[in-house]
Amino acid sequence: MVNELDCRGLSCPAPVLQVRDLLSNETPDTIAVRVDNDAARQNVSRFLEHQNYRVHFEVQGSEFRIVGTRGEGVGVPAAAFVPGAAQKPETGAGKIMVLVTSTHMGHGDDGLGDMLMFNFLKTLKEMGPDLWRVVFVNSGVSFTAEGSEAVPVLQELAANGVHVSACGACLAYFHILDKLQVGEVTNMLEIVTGMKDAGSVVTL
Amino acid sequence: MTSETVRLTQTVKGAGCAAKLSPGELDRALCGLDLPVDPNLLVGLDRADDAGVYRVSDDLALVQTIDFFPPMVDDPYSFGQIAAANALSDVYAMGGTPKTAMNIVAFPAKTMDISVLRLVIEGGLDKMREAGVVLVGGHTVEDSELKYGLSVTGYIHPDRILTKRNLQCGDCLVLTKPIGTGIVATAIKAGLAGRGVTDRVTRAMATLNRAAALVMRDFPVHACTDITGFGFLGHLAEMVVDSGHGVRIRGADVPIYPEALEWAAMGLIPAGAYNNRSFRGPFVDFAPEVARSVQDLLFDPQTSGGLLIAVSADAAERLVDALRANGVEAAVIVGEVVAEPVERIIVE
Repeated sequence: MVNELDCRGLSCPAPVLQVRDLLSNETPDTIAVRVDNDAARQNVSRFLEHQNYRVHFEVQGSEFRIVGTRGEGVGVPAAAFVPGAAQKPETGAGKIMVLVTSTHMGHGDDGLGDMLMFNFLKTLKEMGPDLWRVVFVNSGVSFTAEGSEAVPVLQELAANGVHVSACGACLAYFHILDKLQVGEVTNMLEIVTGMKDAGSVVTL
Repeated sequence: MTSETVRLTQTVKGAGCAAKLSPGELDRALCGLDLPVDPNLLVGLDRADDAGVYRVSDDLALVQTIDFFPPMVDDPYSFGQIAAANALSDVYAMGGTPKTAMNIVAFPAKTMDISVLRLVIEGGLDKMREAGVVLVGGHTVEDSELKYGLSVTGYIHPDRILTKRNLQCGDCLVLTKPIGTGIVATAIKAGLAGRGVTDRVTRAMATLNRAAALVMRDFPVHACTDITGFGFLGHLAEMVVDSGHGVRIRGADVPIYPEALEWAAMGLIPAGAYNNRSFRGPFVDFAPEVARSVQDLLFDPQTSGGLLIAVSADAAERLVDALRANGVEAAVIVGEVVAEPVERIIVE
């Protein structure tokens, strides 16, 4: 069965949102979407490709009919884009904020400290849903930047709804502001208010 | 709707500079028009620069510009700040100092509480104060959608005008704000943008290009423009056309809001980005490894974007350091002016 969606008369971003809503409830093998402007055609095509559909379109006068056929493998679940789905509740006793102030854990041998810190970040997910924020300051910001092996680890945390951020002034100080690969740029006000809102703060 | 409940982006069709008339259409409206001639008009419509410049005396010229658009954020005060910062930016991009401004307002009085308008204008005044600009008047009409902006007048020395058109071979190109506000605005309108990214991008859009403009005065800058509705590559194309040079951009060096890349991949791209691409795409060669979402971002219409500065290569690193030291933290070298291929943009 072909799911047919009529998005004529809608301007960006409404057609993409309608397709998303449909795909968050079901995963049809074939989906067809009618739109009446080229921006909507390109946007819906991008969304379907992003959801692992093979896409072609037919021109019908000044309108387009976009047809997506589900490909092999799995795309990104459409539900991941439901507003607020990735956000943790803003209040609650179990909210843990982790403040990473350095590239290594503890004092002593820095090589050992580097290894420990990386291992710590990898294991952090075991905190489960109580982990609320991970904030990087001073040399710790390098974990969020291009070239750090911690980037995929932090991306996984972020994908699970943990708020990852790095101090903007620190990124600028180390000239890696433009190399940020994961998380958001933050500032001291946000860090301080985060400490106030957190149930507990772990500083390393 | 009162100022507490209104979500401004839900009340309009287009958002911010993404609402700009497509460049191709504007070209068709303006080409071949018989324009008045005056030897004191140093920069006029025929050169389509950021602002017009009119010589008053040998050491004084007026810089004039106007910008207004529908809201791209939900908060009225922030919208006022952003619209004002965006309008003032054209004077900074010419190397001038803004002095006076007039509000231009379209307001849907039948559907929106007047308190919203008050907040919008308060936001605008906040940025005018920061810029050292006085509000001298304004004009308000009733309309179906809210629009706000400024007509700005500034000073400049006639010998120190910075136009788009003076690229020198070997110049480095410095960009002062990240790219992606059009796509982020689309995500805000779609209700997909979290508070963190919304606040961060709102702050960037409300940031004046004043600090960047003051810093660049001390450096051998040859050309400058601000990145707004035509997108990074659209405005760069305006610099490259008729320059006799080409430009090489390192796509990976262009600062982009990371969230915008994800939203571009899922098709949350304003129609303006596609218009920009069809108008200026023919000037641009993308290397195969430049992802489509990055290409989309480079054509994304920006609201109150950064300055794009062409500076002598030997001074470029010092300019970037000075910009960062003065609070322009995103400043970065994104490419350079090359001899070949002439009047083309290569994105690697």
